[in-house]
Amino acid sequence: MKINTMLFVSEFEELWFDALQSLMGLRKCGLNHVVFLHVIKREKVAMRRGTGFLKQEEVKLKEIADIRFIDWAETLFEEGMEVGAHIAIGNVLPKIISVSEIENVDLIVTARIERGKFEELYAGSEISELLRRTSKPVLVYNYLSQSSKAGDDPFERLLLALDWSVSSERVLDLVLALSGATKRVEIVHVLSEKEVGKLSKMEAHKLERENKKRLDDVCDIFVKERIDARPHLYIGQTEEQIKKAATEHKSSMIVLGTRKKSIWKEKWVGSIAHSLAENSELPVLIIPAEGS
Amino acid sequence: MAKRVLNVEDDPDIRTFVSTVLEENGYTPIMAKDGEEGIKKVREEKPDLIILDILMPKQSGIKMYHDLKTDDSLKSIPVVMLSGVSRRTFLRSQAALTEFGDETVPEPQAYLEKPVEPEDLAETLKKILG
Repeated sequence: MKINTMLFVSEFEELWFDALQSLMGLRKCGLNHVVFLHVIKREKVAMRRGTGFLKQEEVKLKEIADIRFIDWAETLFEEGMEVGAHIAIGNVLPKIISVSEIENVDLIVTARIERGKFEELYAGSEISELLRRTSKPVLVYNYLSQSSKAGDDPFERLLLALDWSVSSERVLDLVLALSGATKRVEIVHVLSEKEVGKLSKMEAHKLERENKKRLDDVCDIFVKERIDARPHLYIGQTEEQIKKAATEHKSSMIVLGTRKKSIWKEKWVGSIAHSLAENSELPVLIIPAEGS
Repeated sequence: MAKRVLNVEDDPDIRTFVSTVLEENGYTPIMAKDGEEGIKKVREEKPDLIILDILMPKQSGIKMYHDLKTDDSLKSIPVVMLSGVSRRTFLRSQAALTEFGDETVPEPQAYLEKPVEPEDLAETLKKILG
């Protein structure tokens, strides 16, 4: 896995240039192409009674986006990077999917995308849907809600949450590809309290030992790449424990994979990755299960 | 025979504007909507001049210009840059590409910043193509 091309989705309300600049640590890992995407919501220029299609409004909004992107692009061009831009009208999600495929990007960066309450109730959040519909890694960058400055490098101190599923291997591959930008990785596995509670003392110790061994093995992989890595075993509710671990170890980003689930199962049972992406104050890098 | 001018531009409104200026001044317009399609059209059509935007999907004008000027079979085609990106940035970006190990490239024949007046564009083309 490599990250040469990044899609940076901006509504200009949440992700600004400082957010983009904070991701430039990825240049050490091969990032050399940034593609901007701004989607003007259809309702902003849609047909209205008495006025028709707001062509003038469309031209104005496109021009504003173009001026902003040119300003951002100039800085990146001068650093020898390749930059592309897409300004479109319509729904954000389908545009993200189509541009990410057209440009063959390796990483999608977006903030949380707001949806109407009613729409969210029956369709779920845009981020959840994006994670279901793409197999590309998605960085949900909630940098404005962080207490830290936007200029901090989010890739510096990673919290890598592993559940030992098939997708864990993909997650590991990606984090190793980020090794140039990463200084430290906290590797976390969370044991379910319910699961441990059912076991005898001996069995619980055995489970603990097995998981510690697996964590140590993963640490060794990072140490070989000269990245400081520490293993951590937590017990409790997975999402809560991941957040807790990230706080305890002052992580700058949470990284995890998703498991392949049916849409209905996911909607009703939920997904830890989706929930973290929606609720975590830290940036969350999610690597969807293959075949998403 | 009318000289053929390739315009590489992602904005359909500007493509229409440039196309009109070209036709009104006796040139044959050829259109491409991004750098990737642009370089393909250059190879296929061998135009007499290229009008090139910078910030576009798929491949930027910066990369396309660099590719053109480092290709022996294409480097002689004159290029007029027409972009909202400043000339200073364009030159710095070419210098940055050189710094990263690529070949040095000459400056374009002309650099026009958007928005451009039709007369200025026509005059620039006349100066280069005669």
